[in-house]
Amino acid sequence: MTELQKDPITRSDFLGFGFIGAIMGAILTIPPVAFVLGPVIKTDVLGKSDISKGWQEVGKVSEIKAGEPKDFTIEFPLTQSYGDKSIQEKAPSSPRSNKQFTLRNAVWASWKTKYKPNGSQGKVSRPSFLDQKTEGFSQSEIKEIEKNLNVLSNSCAHLGCPVRWVITEGEGEFLCPCHGGLYDINGDYQGGPPPRGMYHYKTWEVRENGKLYVKHGYIIQDRPDATQPYVV
Amino acid sequence: MIGRLRSQTSSASKVIVDWMEHRAGIVTAMEHFLYEPVPKRGAWLYTLGSAVLFLISLQFLTGILLLFYYVPTTDHAWNSVYYIMNEAYFGTLIRGIHYWSANFLMAMIGLHMAQVFFSGGYKAPRELNWIVGVVLLLLVIGLAFTGYLLRWDQDGFWASVVGIKIGSYSPFVGAYITHFLLGGDAVGPATLSRFFAIHVWLLPAAIAPFIGIHLYLLRRHGVFGSEFEYSERIAKMHEHQRMEEYARYELSDDEHEEEDGYEGNGRGRYDGGR
Repeated sequence: MTELQKDPITRSDFLGFGFIGAIMGAILTIPPVAFVLGPVIKTDVLGKSDISKGWQEVGKVSEIKAGEPKDFTIEFPLTQSYGDKSIQEKAPSSPRSNKQFTLRNAVWASWKTKYKPNGSQGKVSRPSFLDQKTEGFSQSEIKEIEKNLNVLSNSCAHLGCPVRWVITEGEGEFLCPCHGGLYDINGDYQGGPPPRGMYHYKTWEVRENGKLYVKHGYIIQDRPDATQPYVV
Repeated sequence: MIGRLRSQTSSASKVIVDWMEHRAGIVTAMEHFLYEPVPKRGAWLYTLGSAVLFLISLQFLTGILLLFYYVPTTDHAWNSVYYIMNEAYFGTLIRGIHYWSANFLMAMIGLHMAQVFFSGGYKAPRELNWIVGVVLLLLVIGLAFTGYLLRWDQDGFWASVVGIKIGSYSPFVGAYITHFLLGGDAVGPATLSRFFAIHVWLLPAAIAPFIGIHLYLLRRHGVFGSEFEYSERIAKMHEHQRMEEYARYELSDDEHEEEDGYEGNGRGRYDGGR
């Protein structure tokens, strides 16, 4: 082996080099690493989210038909990076952008439907009073609606592509365009690569005006404590 | 007339080349890097690596040009790509080259790897070059992945969502990888900024030194099989070079001193370092 250093290093030298080396290393590495990993620290350590946690209006419950889900497009305000609203408010006279960034998702809402053993749709639990009135529901009617509604994210449980309702031979199902994941009208897993059923919204409610409201966040079937989906 | 002009030009260029050779050893370096005896059988297969290098150079050049018009913000990225494609002069050509050579690059890398694999080019003493090559492959895949999102159209957007989500399935670090790539917990302006930074600076800056190492190791060990197999051919080449060298020495002894005042012994040029 090649002799790199002729003079053996003394203990105090070693400690001195180690100490100075540690300080220099920290000075050189911590700022750039923290700079780049800022969002990871913000999300995973501080537990903050870029997505607005407020209620978002989805649409009228009475528009959802029996046996067919209805899709509503919603936009969650996003305060990410330079899209942070507080930056825009802080300096009103500077040439800043007023662009509001949003996270655009779709909500699939459907009535809970039983399936016959042969796979065709059976009993649909759509409250019958919805044919008469579209708003001004009483508390008991809201309870009735909420009990029977599926509020699903359109994000496929496999790799996050947006699923569509596709009708083939009279029977409809959710189909993911990316890798062919299949779900039934309740969002339950039917076939393809997804490991579980579609994500249900965790917090949602129907109000007296007959409209559905959601907050961002999902229940993941078979893993209620899971932190996925990361990408929606 | 033309003959005289030509001889004047060639002697002028010879002076420049000699001047550069004495100061920077450029001719020696060029010879060292460009000339390599290869077996006649399947010689075209040895050009696959050069094809990859050429395509990567195209990526660098067209990528730099695209940066003159591209804007990495979610509200203007698509518009700027549209501008490049429809209004900038030759924008379709420049971006087309960037796009198609990127696609072609992946195919060429596949062929290059297959050639090295089937010819056993990864065996001792070239293992390190294979490893560096794999690093280069991963860097190119990273570039392809991050470049896809920059267009900010439906195709690139969903492909990136799928790609990031694949990363989210990694054990233990899935969430961190995802949030690092997203720049938060949702696809938004920070995601595009990051992918832009990674695509335009981080990975190209990382790929350049690895290409250098790859080429250095290639020249150190040669492209093909054992040297003994082709020793005759190499001996012939060395002989040829020696003759050339002698011819030049005789010329300079007879006619003139070194024109550029270089007083070295001239051995720097062809010291037979192979």
